[in-house]
Amino acid sequence: MNCNNSGKTYMVTLEGTRQMNLDKIIILLKQGKHIREDCVYSLCIQAQELLMNESNVTHVDTPVTICGDIHGQLHDLLTLFEKSGGVEKSRYIFLGDFVDRGFYSLESFLLLLCYKLRYPDRITLIRGNHETRQITKVYGFYDEIMRKYGNSNVWRYCCEVFDYLSLGAIINERVFCIHGGLSPDITTIDEIRSIDRKQEVPHEGAMCDLLWSDPDEVDTWSLSPRGAGFLFGKGEVDQFLQTNNIELIARAHQLVMEGYKEMFDGGLVTVWSAPNYCYRCGNVAAVLTIDGQLERSYTIFDAVQSQNGMGHTIIPTKKPQMDYFL
Amino acid sequence: MAEKRDIRRGPGIRTVEINAARQVHARTVRARIPIDIGAIDSQEPATSTAISAPRFVQPALPQSSRQPSAAHSHVRHTCNNPRNPPCAHCGTMIVPSPVATLPLEDHPSLTINNWTISTKKKPILNSQELEDWENNKLKGLTLPEMIFGNSFVRIQEKTRNWSIEFNALDALREVKLKDSGIRVSYSKKWMDSKQQKQRQQQRLSIALGSSQPLSDIDDSALQIARHYDWTYTTKYKGTETSGSKKYKFKKDDSQTLPIDKLARPDHILFYDDMILFEDELADNGISIFNIKIRVMNERLLLLSRFFLRVDDVLIRVVDTRIVVEFDENKVIREYKEMEGDYKTLLTKHKMSHSHDPKAALRDSNWVAANIPLITRECEILNLNDPN
Repeated sequence: MNCNNSGKTYMVTLEGTRQMNLDKIIILLKQGKHIREDCVYSLCIQAQELLMNESNVTHVDTPVTICGDIHGQLHDLLTLFEKSGGVEKSRYIFLGDFVDRGFYSLESFLLLLCYKLRYPDRITLIRGNHETRQITKVYGFYDEIMRKYGNSNVWRYCCEVFDYLSLGAIINERVFCIHGGLSPDITTIDEIRSIDRKQEVPHEGAMCDLLWSDPDEVDTWSLSPRGAGFLFGKGEVDQFLQTNNIELIARAHQLVMEGYKEMFDGGLVTVWSAPNYCYRCGNVAAVLTIDGQLERSYTIFDAVQSQNGMGHTIIPTKKPQMDYFL
Repeated sequence: MAEKRDIRRGPGIRTVEINAARQVHARTVRARIPIDIGAIDSQEPATSTAISAPRFVQPALPQSSRQPSAAHSHVRHTCNNPRNPPCAHCGTMIVPSPVATLPLEDHPSLTINNWTISTKKKPILNSQELEDWENNKLKGLTLPEMIFGNSFVRIQEKTRNWSIEFNALDALREVKLKDSGIRVSYSKKWMDSKQQKQRQQQRLSIALGSSQPLSDIDDSALQIARHYDWTYTTKYKGTETSGSKKYKFKKDDSQTLPIDKLARPDHILFYDDMILFEDELADNGISIFNIKIRVMNERLLLLSRFFLRVDDVLIRVVDTRIVVEFDENKVIREYKEMEGDYKTLLTKHKMSHSHDPKAALRDSNWVAANIPLITRECEILNLNDPN
């Protein structure tokens, strides 16, 4: 890849050079260092080319580790890799919501992209409801880019990548992975394959439901009291499992204090991978590893300390700032 | 931004580190000798310039605080928790820092005369606690995403056994278990498209002569399963407990808060700021209930604020302010409801030349100062002379 200032062209050089460059960028990202705009552009273009070839529901083999929401908590993402073997050794599926809320949305997303480019068959990225232009403009990613670059170009490049992310994954034809949940418009997994995913997530329709809906103790499909969005219950989950001959739906999207929560007799699990969410919830995080026998094992991890041993700030804290409020 | 720069810095001598070490040392030395507030103030500017001063926040005091408050230099309060940052006796104020998951108890407390102020901050409720709240304590309510259910702020008057506390459970008990009538901005569009689809499929199934519906969406899918106020609007004004019936608030809307006295930059002995519950409304805005408290030598001010923003729909603020005058044993409680249309507020802010007008709508202080007041109530409780 070419990270020089020679306009916004990108060049594929020898594979070896490309990997070396990627490794360098990965090191920088892990330290939370600044990545130049043209370099981000080049990464995003390459990622798009790669993601374009993936189907809406990607096939993944076991063993694999399923990870939930990250929300820009770069340091906790590093802990996640550390505790679960690392991308050099293990396979991963990320269920979306890489950005927003945390302070390092860009670095977290780019790190995952770099891993994707460096180890394409070892990491699968699924789109979350935060991987959209509309949501990132309100919940932090856009502001973070404006703060870090002074303009919104990098945000635009990233949003273009969002449009190419897969909608789901299926592990050994037995475990279905999705960000939010089910949709009344989708009965079989094959129906997801016919969605035109390369667009901003619409406000309604199957694509929207898959990224937004929530499981709940309801008897049938019901409407959220907010006036938009579906809730689904055990009946819908059992039906979906049976129709598609699968045993588990793994999803993220909702904060769980213990990092994961199994529902409906183990037919559905919520995995949450952002410890001490928003730097104040005090929750732990989890990832779910599915082995060759489709056995589930959860790895729990805690948030990194906000300061290192030297008293240096690693994460900007949200301590109460004293003020003379009235 | 300072923190970011810090991380990027390569190896070499870190001046911040040396500066930080100097400060820690200075504080240790200072803590050995109880000194009066006036003296602390004059030392403050030197330390407050270091941005990444470790351990705890040491806010810069306003310049003007040096002269008047120093006159009131006799110390009459007790810091009840020695593990917290030392109090004004010892050289600094108490600013409790949040405890994440360590099993440490963070229960800072301060006593002034017969008044004790204490706070407790704990992580969000775990699944077991949530289940208990959902099935027993708050039956019928789908709980907000983040509940700091073991946190509280408490103000106690010891001699008369009177207290007022703010906690999440009692705040959520005031949330109505019926349809709020509020819908997210794209609700109509969403419903219309679903209904259209439903009709299409009905026509299709009739044409095919099938008695089975072709889709899972039947009428029930477009019905709300459980009715509750999903905005979590609460009119909670605190939980009172009293040993005697005579210590009750009396309504008197003519009363006002002593704003002039509160605006004075008196030395703050105790400060805390905590969230009791929060919900992201499925990324349609925010609903947050937050408590702030500051205790000065003569009085305290507590602000409990419910802030709701439903994007492109409406904004609502419910404020309760409590002022305790320690010397008069007098408590004043002011309650305000404010509500405004999202778009009206946005246009209002656009006129004040900002590049990101929506940022103002995320700032509850700006919003509270700019939206229409719906109701205001004031109550007073005089513990010295309750009748």
